Amino acid sequence: MPEVQNQNRELVRRYTDQPARLPAELRSRIEAEWDGAPVYLYALADLNAQLTLEHTWVALGPERVALAQQSEDGEWELDHVRRDRIQAVRDAPGLSGSVLTLLGEPDQPALARVRFTHRQRRAMENLKFLLEEAVAFGPSADSPGSAAPDRERAPDVNADDEYARSVAGPIREAQALVSGNRMAVIWRLLGYLKPYRREVTIGFLAATVITLVSLIPPYLAGYLIDSVVRPVQDGQLSQGRGARIAWFAVAGMGLVYLVRQAGAVLRLRMMSVLGEWVARDLRTELYEHLQRLSLSFYARKKTGSLITRVSSDTDRLWDFLAFGVVDVSLSLVMLVGLSTVLLSLDWKLGLVMTVPVPLFCLAIYRHGESLNRVFVRAWRKWSRVTDVLSDTIPGMSVVKAFGQEDREKGRFRERNYAVTEEYNRIHHMWTTFWPLLMLAVHGTTVAVWAFAIPRLLETGETALSAGTFVSFLLYTTMFVAPIEVIGQMARTINRATSSAHRVFEVLDTEPEIVDVVESVRLDPVEGRVRFRDVTFGYDGVQLVLKGVNFEVQPGEMIGLVGPSGGGKTTIVSLLARFYEPTGGAIEIDGVDLSRLDTTHYRRQVGMVLQEPYLFHGTLLDNIRYGRPDADLEEVVEAARAANAHEFIVEMGQGYDTVVGERGQTLSGGQRQRVSIARAILNDPRILILDEATSAVDTETERKIQEAMDRLVAGRTTFAIAHRLSTLHKASRLFVVKNGRIAEMGTHTELLGIADGLYRRLHELQVELA
Amino acid sequence: MITNLERGRSLRLERRPDGQLWAEQGGEAQAVWVRRCFPWSEPTRFVSLLDSEKKEFALVPDVRALEPASREAVEAALAEAGFVLQVDRIDSVDEEVEIRTWAVQTKQGPRSFQTRLDDWPREVPGGGFLIRDVAGDLYYIGTPSALDAKSRELLWAYVE
Repeated sequence: MPEVQNQNRELVRRYTDQPARLPAELRSRIEAEWDGAPVYLYALADLNAQLTLEHTWVALGPERVALAQQSEDGEWELDHVRRDRIQAVRDAPGLSGSVLTLLGEPDQPALARVRFTHRQRRAMENLKFLLEEAVAFGPSADSPGSAAPDRERAPDVNADDEYARSVAGPIREAQALVSGNRMAVIWRLLGYLKPYRREVTIGFLAATVITLVSLIPPYLAGYLIDSVVRPVQDGQLSQGRGARIAWFAVAGMGLVYLVRQAGAVLRLRMMSVLGEWVARDLRTELYEHLQRLSLSFYARKKTGSLITRVSSDTDRLWDFLAFGVVDVSLSLVMLVGLSTVLLSLDWKLGLVMTVPVPLFCLAIYRHGESLNRVFVRAWRKWSRVTDVLSDTIPGMSVVKAFGQEDREKGRFRERNYAVTEEYNRIHHMWTTFWPLLMLAVHGTTVAVWAFAIPRLLETGETALSAGTFVSFLLYTTMFVAPIEVIGQMARTINRATSSAHRVFEVLDTEPEIVDVVESVRLDPVEGRVRFRDVTFGYDGVQLVLKGVNFEVQPGEMIGLVGPSGGGKTTIVSLLARFYEPTGGAIEIDGVDLSRLDTTHYRRQVGMVLQEPYLFHGTLLDNIRYGRPDADLEEVVEAARAANAHEFIVEMGQGYDTVVGERGQTLSGGQRQRVSIARAILNDPRILILDEATSAVDTETERKIQEAMDRLVAGRTTFAIAHRLSTLHKASRLFVVKNGRIAEMGTHTELLGIADGLYRRLHELQVELA
Repeated sequence: MITNLERGRSLRLERRPDGQLWAEQGGEAQAVWVRRCFPWSEPTRFVSLLDSEKKEFALVPDVRALEPASREAVEAALAEAGFVLQVDRIDSVDEEVEIRTWAVQTKQGPRSFQTRLDDWPREVPGGGFLIRDVAGDLYYIGTPSALDAKSRELLWAYVE
C-alpha cells in the first residue's frame, strides 16, 4: 500500500498544478492553533470567489474546520469555523465547479463558502460526508446498532494518503500505470525471455550472422574487379588463375547467400516461436492473476479494456519481442558495421556516405511525428464513423419508425467523406516523403560518384580503384533498411511500452482478499451468521455500512428491504466475502470470516442474482458449473425443482442446447430458473437472492417463486427484494437504510411499528396493487 | 410544463445572506438551484429552478425578461453553476500511456489536465469546443481561430 500512496503523490505532482500534500508548516500551524488537535482530513479549494484559480486549503479536525490561504508575501492566513456551529452543509455542483457552504443559524450569513473544480470533488466529498454525519447524528446520537458518531472518533485514514488518492484517482483510473521509467519497463519485459535463453542466443547469433555475411558480397564484388578482372585484363594475372579465383569467389558468394538464408530461417523461426511462448506465458500469468483479483478491481476496470490486455496487448508484445528487439538492435549493428567497412575501405568516400545517415534517421523520425498528428486526426474522424454505426445499427428499428433513413445516410456519408480526406492526407504525406528521402539517398550516391570519379581517373596513391567504388555503390543500397528501422525505433518502443504498462498494471495489482496462512475450513458450514458492528466503505472514508449488528440462526430466511443505496447489496457482498469489512467483524458459525478458506467457503454459498449470468456452453454445462461431477439424475432433479426442466425439454436439443453468448437466446425468466437449478445442484448452506424475481411477468414470477421456495428450504437465506410479497416466507425482515439496520423483526412485528419504514413501504405497495 | 412557463413570469428571486438563491412565487418561497436547459445553445433561456429534492419549482423562459433584482440574482447563481474553464492558449499536448496531457492558459489561470486518448473535444451547439478531462472538468475553447498560431497548430489534430 505505501507504494500505491507514493504513486498517488507522484501523479498529483506530475499531472496537476497543486501540491501533493498539505504543506507541513501549514499543518503544524493549524494543529497548533487547534491546541494540538490533529487534522483528520483536508482538501483543496482551487477557485476563489471571483472563480479564478487560487488555492485555499480546507482542513477538518475534531472541533474545527480551518481555511487557509497564502498571501502574496507567503504568509498563511487562517480562518477557523467551530464544528458545533455548523448546522448544515450545502453542496451545489455545477458544470465544472462546485460550491460547498457551511451553514450556521438559519437566515444568517454562511460560516464558510469554498469553490472548487471537479478535480477536488472527491476530497471535498470526504469532508462533506464527515461533517454531515456529525450534523445528522451529533455527539450524543449514539443510536443502537449505529457506528460511533464521527465527531467523536477520528476517521481511520491517513489524511495525506486520502487527499492524494482522491486527487490522483481519476488519473489512475484512466491510465494503466504510473508512467515510470520506460527503460525499466523494457527490461522487465525482456525478463520474460529468461526461460528461453538458449533460443534467444541462437536467434541473436543467427541475426548477427545474417547481418555480418550481408557485408561480404559487396566486398567480394570489389575484390573480383580489383584483384582478378583488372589484373587479367592488364595481363598481370593469367586467365586460368584468374578464372579459378573468380569461380572461388562465385562459390563463396553462393555460400554467403546460403548461410544468410539458413540464418534467416533460424532467426525467423526461433524468434517468432519464442515470441509466441512469451506471449503465451504473459497471457497465462495475466489470466491466472485476473482470477485472483477481487471484485473491486473489476468494478474499476472496463471489461473491454481487460480483454484487450489479454489479447491485443500480448499480441503486440509478441511482435516486439519476436521482431522489434532484434530488428532495432541489428539495424544499429548494421549501421555501425556498414560505416566501419566504408570508412576502412576509403575514409573520404566513407564520410560522404555516412555523415548524412543521422540526418536521414532524424528525417524519418520527424516524418513519423508529423504523421502521428494526422493519424490522431484520422483516428478521431474514424471514431465518428463508428459512432454512427454503433448508434444506428442496434437502433435501426427507431431509425425506421421515425423515417430517418435519409438523415442517417447523410450523417454517415458526411463522416465517411471526412475520414477519407484524412486518410488521403496521410497518403499524400508518405508518398511525398519517401520518394524525397530516396532522392536524398540517391543524392548521396551521386555525391559518392562526384567525389569518386576524379579519383577514379587519377593515377597514383590517391587514386580510387574501380573495385572499391563498386563495393561502395553496393553498400550504399544497404543503408536504407536499417535507417528506416532506426527512424521508427521510438514508435516501436512506445507501442511496446504502452502495452507492457497495461499488462503489468494487472499483474502488479494485489488481490484485496487474501487467505490467512492457516485458514479454517468449515465442512460443512452450518449457516449461523453474525455481523458485529460492521462498517464498510468502498473508498475508505465514505461509509456505506455504518455499524451493522445482527445474528442469524442456521436455516433462517432473512428478507432485506429498504430504499435503494441503503446498503442491502453491500451486506450480502460482504457475506460472500467479495470485500472485507472496514471495521467490525463477520462470523460464520462463530469463526471470523477473514480466517476462513475463501474458495472452500464460497463453494458453500449460493447466489441467485437479478441478472443471472450463463456461460457459453450447453444448459447441462451451466447447471453443472459448480459441480462438474454431478450425475445426470441430479441435474434433472435440480432442473425440476427450479421449474426449468419443462422448458428445457421443449427445446430441440434439451439439456445439450448451447446457450450464453452466441448461443440460444433464453428469456429472463428462463435464465433465472437455470441459475436457480445451478444453485440447487450446488447445495449451498448459505444462500443469497438479490432481486431474483424482478423484471419478469407474473406467471414466470410464480414459477420462480415456487422454485425459490424449494431452494431456500433448510438453508440460511438472505433475500433482497423490493416487492415485499416475495418475502412471505421470510422468518425475519431487516429494513436497511443509510447503512444501518433501521428496523428488524417479523412481518407482523414491523407492521406494528407506528410510523415505521417497513409499514410505510408495505402500505405503499398495497395501494399500488 | 406550460404552467411553469407561465408561472415563471411572476417569479421573484433573491440571494439570501447565506448565499442561497430563493425563489418566491404565489406566496410560496423555496430555496432553489439553477440549471440551464440549453447551456450551450441558449444559455440565457430556459433556466430550470430545482428544489433540494431536484424537483422543478419553476422554469424561467428567459432570464432577460426577469425584473432587474431577480435577474441579477439568477445571473450570479448561473455564473457559479455554469462555470467552465476558458482556454486562452495551449502550451503543449503530450501523449502518454492511455492519457493525453494538456498544458493550457485559461482565463482563470494556468492549468494542466488529462484526457483519455479516445476522448475528443466536442463541438458545442453555440459554437466552440469543449474538452472534458478525466476528473470531469470542462475546458471551453470559444473561437479556435482566435487562438495564437502555436495553439491552433497544437489543436489542429483534435478539432474540426
